[in-house]
Amino acid sequence: MKNLGYLQSTTKYCFIIGFVLLLGSCQKKEQTLFELLPPIKSGVTFQNNLTETDSLNILDYLYFYNGGGVAMGDINNDGLPDLYFSSNQEKNKLYLNKGNLTFEDISKTATIEGNSSWNTGSIMVDVNGDGWLDIYVLAVVGINGFEGHNELFINNKDNTFSEKSKAYGLDFKCYGTSAAFLDFDLDGDMDLYILNHAVHTEESFGRAQIRNIRNEKTGDKLLRNDGNSFTDISEEAGIFGGINGYGLGISVADFNQDGYPDIYVGNDFHEDDYFYLNNGNGTFTESLRNYFGHTSRFSMGNDVADINHDGWPDLITLDMLPEDDGVIKSSEGDDMYQTLKMRTEQYGYHYQYTRNMLFVSQPEAPYLETALQSGVAATDWSWSALFGDYNQDGKQDLFISNGIPKRPNNLDFIKYVSNEEIQNKINTSRLVDQKALELMPSGKVSNYFFKGEGSLQFKDVSKNWGSGLPSISGASAVGDLDNDGDLDIVTNNINEPASIYINSTHEKASYIKLQFQYKDKNPQGFGTKVIAYHKGILQYKELYTARGFQASSQPIIHFGFGAEKTIDSLKVIWPDQTQQTLKNVSLNQLLTITPENTIPYAYQRNKSKKRFKKVEDNLGINYTHKEDNHTDFNYQKLIPYEVSDRGPGVAIGDMNRDGKEDIFLGGAKNQKSVIYSQIVGGFQLRDTPNLAKDSIHEEVTACYLTLDGNSQFINLVGNGGNQISPNIKVLQNKLITETNDTIFVEPSLDSTYYNTSIIKAMHLEMDPINTINPIFIGNYTAPMDFGKIVPSYIFGNNPKLQELNNLGMVTDALWDDFNGDGQTDLIVIGEWMQPRFYELKNHTWIESFPLKEKLNGLWQTIIPFDIDRDGDNDYLLGNWGLNSKFKASSTFPMRMYYADFDENGSTETVLAIEKNGKYYPLLGLDELAGQMVFLRKKFTNYREFAGKTMEEIFGEKLQKATLFELQTLASGFLRNNQGKFTFEAFPNILQISPIKAFVAFDFNDDGKKEVLAGGNYFGVIPFHGRFDSFPGALISSENEITLGSNLGLDFTQKSIRHLKIIRLDHKPYLLVIYNNEKAEVYEITH
Amino acid sequence: MKSHIKLLIVLLLPLFILSCKKNDPIEIVSKDYQNAVDKVTDIMVHDIFSPPVASRIYAYPNITAYEIIAQNNPSYLSLTGQIKHLTPIPKTNNPNVNFPLAALIAHIDVSKSVIFSEELMEHYRDSLYRIWQNKNEDVFMASKEYGLQVSEHIKNWMDGDNYKQTRTMPKFTVITEDPSRWQPTPPSYMDGIEPHWNKIRPFVLDSASQFKPIPPPAFSLEKESDFYKELDEVYTISERITKEGDASEEVKIARFWDCNPYVSVTRGHLMFATKKITPGAHWMGIAEIACKNTESSFEDTVYAYTKTSIALFDGFISCWDEKYRSNLIRPETLINQHIDENWKPILQTPPFPEYSSGHSVVSGASATVLTEIFGDNFKFLDDTELPYGLPVRSFSSFNAAAQEAAISRMYGGIHYRAAVENGINQGIQVGNLVNERLKMKVD
Repeated sequence: MKNLGYLQSTTKYCFIIGFVLLLGSCQKKEQTLFELLPPIKSGVTFQNNLTETDSLNILDYLYFYNGGGVAMGDINNDGLPDLYFSSNQEKNKLYLNKGNLTFEDISKTATIEGNSSWNTGSIMVDVNGDGWLDIYVLAVVGINGFEGHNELFINNKDNTFSEKSKAYGLDFKCYGTSAAFLDFDLDGDMDLYILNHAVHTEESFGRAQIRNIRNEKTGDKLLRNDGNSFTDISEEAGIFGGINGYGLGISVADFNQDGYPDIYVGNDFHEDDYFYLNNGNGTFTESLRNYFGHTSRFSMGNDVADINHDGWPDLITLDMLPEDDGVIKSSEGDDMYQTLKMRTEQYGYHYQYTRNMLFVSQPEAPYLETALQSGVAATDWSWSALFGDYNQDGKQDLFISNGIPKRPNNLDFIKYVSNEEIQNKINTSRLVDQKALELMPSGKVSNYFFKGEGSLQFKDVSKNWGSGLPSISGASAVGDLDNDGDLDIVTNNINEPASIYINSTHEKASYIKLQFQYKDKNPQGFGTKVIAYHKGILQYKELYTARGFQASSQPIIHFGFGAEKTIDSLKVIWPDQTQQTLKNVSLNQLLTITPENTIPYAYQRNKSKKRFKKVEDNLGINYTHKEDNHTDFNYQKLIPYEVSDRGPGVAIGDMNRDGKEDIFLGGAKNQKSVIYSQIVGGFQLRDTPNLAKDSIHEEVTACYLTLDGNSQFINLVGNGGNQISPNIKVLQNKLITETNDTIFVEPSLDSTYYNTSIIKAMHLEMDPINTINPIFIGNYTAPMDFGKIVPSYIFGNNPKLQELNNLGMVTDALWDDFNGDGQTDLIVIGEWMQPRFYELKNHTWIESFPLKEKLNGLWQTIIPFDIDRDGDNDYLLGNWGLNSKFKASSTFPMRMYYADFDENGSTETVLAIEKNGKYYPLLGLDELAGQMVFLRKKFTNYREFAGKTMEEIFGEKLQKATLFELQTLASGFLRNNQGKFTFEAFPNILQISPIKAFVAFDFNDDGKKEVLAGGNYFGVIPFHGRFDSFPGALISSENEITLGSNLGLDFTQKSIRHLKIIRLDHKPYLLVIYNNEKAEVYEITH
Repeated sequence: MKSHIKLLIVLLLPLFILSCKKNDPIEIVSKDYQNAVDKVTDIMVHDIFSPPVASRIYAYPNITAYEIIAQNNPSYLSLTGQIKHLTPIPKTNNPNVNFPLAALIAHIDVSKSVIFSEELMEHYRDSLYRIWQNKNEDVFMASKEYGLQVSEHIKNWMDGDNYKQTRTMPKFTVITEDPSRWQPTPPSYMDGIEPHWNKIRPFVLDSASQFKPIPPPAFSLEKESDFYKELDEVYTISERITKEGDASEEVKIARFWDCNPYVSVTRGHLMFATKKITPGAHWMGIAEIACKNTESSFEDTVYAYTKTSIALFDGFISCWDEKYRSNLIRPETLINQHIDENWKPILQTPPFPEYSSGHSVVSGASATVLTEIFGDNFKFLDDTELPYGLPVRSFSSFNAAAQEAAISRMYGGIHYRAAVENGINQGIQVGNLVNERLKMKVD
């Protein structure tokens, strides 16, 4: 009852907010970009009324709340787009656009109301190529007593339609979601992909391979248009049709720019999304894993547009992550760490996380995934995404519809509220009654509008552009309903009239609207691509209408151009691989383009030689770093990221006194470290029995030194790995030396048992007699005690040893003369600390403070480089990046509290981020209370915990905790102003993943060095996802940055630890060392 | 006239005063204690506790109440010196203390500290407090003061049982390369619960491994191996009785003894849980039935509950010690992998390793103790599961009930035969030890 009261008050609250907003808008007349067109004005009174009964509700049919469909298109060829709505349980409606934003309901006379029990997606398409739009409506048939079939309403050209699905072979009785028409074989007619969904509520994952066993009801279908009928070619074309295909989203685009349309299918639940690349021979190859490191988990709608002006289609996929802290923390979240591991490694599914994903295309390479840094990751229970240049500033904006009548993933409902109600009902009838359903909180929320800001950024402008009114909006379509040139949006809503958002941009900015009169069986020109050029900027669009979710949009292409009055040209690439270019195109008009004076268009693979080329045999370096099964999160359950995955260490130097470079590579726990000796034409594994005996250690850093000129070498190796089995001594660092061609291992001079992270010598040549050649040994943490600061050391000749007690969690160090006094200084970086600078004065290292601001980061790597080309060394710094749920700024640093909160003798860390000026724990009640049981007593349900600040949750305990702070998560550089440094963040393209390694080298032989950056990181819980899409980047100067995918590098889906240049017969190669992966060698070509 | 009125006032005044402060006796009966334990059970179902943690929640409040009884009644011997680290509870000389009342108050107070939803317990407590206060404030206040004093003493002792420390200990690490090793099971794929329960301080056991059972049959997928035969037996029985459906006696037995505190149900995005009492709670329920049937006194009721809950507590420690020693994979995982991909057990597989069967061990332990208290061949109707929609079953003895509880796990498709048979023996040994070691009632 308590819960009910809460729900009622929330509803009331929403009502009041809505009311206030309405009042506000009446009084102030503050104009939003879109205005909602009221039904009373438009005549569009359609609403998708859901009638829940004891025998038909969310328990009986899992997609009961998915809503109907909407299609926008001109069915009577009067130049005004008309609207079709499908209703789940009631009659479908067709509204004729009469101009001036008035519509006439012609549903009855048009005979399109439909006869299926449960209608879903609706699509307008000219299926028979007669120049008149027909309507295809999907149905769910064969469960819950649903009858009927997919219906195809053929346009009689007189505002009436005839249902002819049977004649066309399209009268399927499946569990339909939506459909997309495309000419996949380029034979000139419209083929069809039907998206069906599983209803299977089996509770185990099942093996992923069951997608290979076709199920006629749930499997997707590909149908080839053979003139007057369609032929099911799903199996021979390579389309999955399994019982686990929960298809909810579909997009068609020429994703790989080879002239043939490809297909992206979003699947709900644990089934992977499908990325079908068109082979051009009537078949497709599902290629998700080659291009996507991870996807949305509960994938819903998706949409395609080129958001970064490179002529390649980008993709957004929707999920259901809320933005509001209160909703996040009272909703079921991501998998547990070990569950995801099982699902991927054992059951064969790909990595999936509960949030929207924004995939930015890279030519012939995996996508970048930037939703978190782009600001579009969390839009609550989301259904439809529609890109469009809504404000016509030349950048793609984004509309996302969302909402659900009841939140069935509410944790209080699942754990506490549902019990009696549901149990009683299920025991007697296996049904859930209304009363139980009422106990779930409402998920009625307002739709999102995002303004494209360039540089992969989107800004939430929902309040300025939209109505702000909560609704349950699903299917949506975009087009120009009032023919004023800008894009309007229509959504199909549950239990409320459809929303028609009328855009008022046209007066403020330029546009062009294109429609096509293409060849016979494809008059609308589906698959036509247009590139608009102005002032050196290109915009790219491809015409497909099945977009968003269960919907089709108006078959037009629309571009915005801001204040421009003219553009340079429009290039039209027709589906038959011909092109024509239009010049002197005037803006602010609807242009109808027909193929004229076309010339062949050749899709070309980029054959130009790339800077880097993978060496086939890896030069004989057959080394794969293999982590053991250890997971820090099983031990210190609340730490922000792993500690045990920092290896391997690598050292390069002449280890057999033949004048050539050899390679030492550390092993993971229970993996031996190895030495590869250089031989003619490559490297050879050296037989080192003493190293093999020593596999219990995890070597995470290594430093090569020579002694006595060339007579002997030492690798000083730092051990880490955070594990203390069989005992803590495995963490003692060691020396690897050679005597008489035999390798020996002995304990190092420093007898500490910490997680060592970095060993750096000032000079590689050790001269025991003469000058100081100090070695820095940086330590990260005490084992199994994240947050406990341990000392680091400088070993020198005089003084012998200097202990640096308060450095922090050290990760890297650099000997460099930062102040230009001719003496080599020391810079140390690390996590939860700022770069620290030490100058040598009177034989002691004295800290100096050349930084202008507080600059704590999760610093990973540092390298000197004159990035601004002003003659002095700047310092490039790798950080966590901005594509993350972490959040930090100088005003509101990210916080980490370290204490024994539950006073049981072992410590915990709690992370907190700021939202609206207050700090909230990053994780939810289950995670925190899993470690600190007192929270279970303090918060006996999720509702009480959700939206609580750190102070409200932990009270006085916070004062007793050690507080760590972070001011920035951005990778960037310290600009050197005569020994003083200011930090500048790298551009967004370098913030996609943590940057873990740099190497400086003159890669292009221009006499100047460039820096190559690599990264990616997986040591986080599923809540954070997987930082897997950074392809590496070559940094030539501040403004010259080239992504690795354009250079022939493939660093994606792997986590880099080191980038090294090795010389074989004086020829340089790039050696890439990954954690838990095979090392790779790239040839550097010129 | 005036003086008459004065006289009347003087005469009536004492009556007023008397009626303000009542002096009724507060009588605490067996039923009061049963109600208090039932309340704890209800709150546990709401809060969701795993079976081992639930056994801890029963044990400490019962011991608290028992120690107060033993303080005052020479027929009962204190457990001090008999169970680990328990020191004598404070004494009282206050003549107003009603010991059964103090015992009940202390029971409620310790219970409140071990469950989560304190407000549910406070609500129950305060309604009782009002009644007692109205009956006899002096006795109530004295008993309350003493009861809470003892409660604090027990809580201090309880804090040393390593429960807090085990919260921060490592999770069970899933290693899927080892085909015999336990893995999380559908539908929730929860991490293994309480992997360090063997580090909890037992009451009577010398060590968690004192009654380490013989190992389960060696893991093998060879058709002729003992292990595979037991795996196949689970599958075959399940297939047969599933076909027979609701009419099947085995299905009825499996459902009756399910005792799963959290069965998660998923229907697409809709999730919910059906919650029941734990195995421990079921045996506390049987203890209650026995007390009722024998019309036991308040003191005898506390005694029976306490001894049973001690057996349960040590039984879980013994069982969990073996579970995370053998780390054996559940039948559901293997059957899905090797026999039938779509097979589901009749009961939902609980989230911890298979061997030995927890219900078998604690049923064996409880039945052994209850038999010692109430005698063998104690016939009873078991209506413990009525509130959860399950029928009444009748048993000829505690041991017969325990045998049925044990084999129910095989019918339910969640245990192999060895876990059931060796499990019940393991439990009987725990029960016998409790009977041997604890001198509680003087005859």
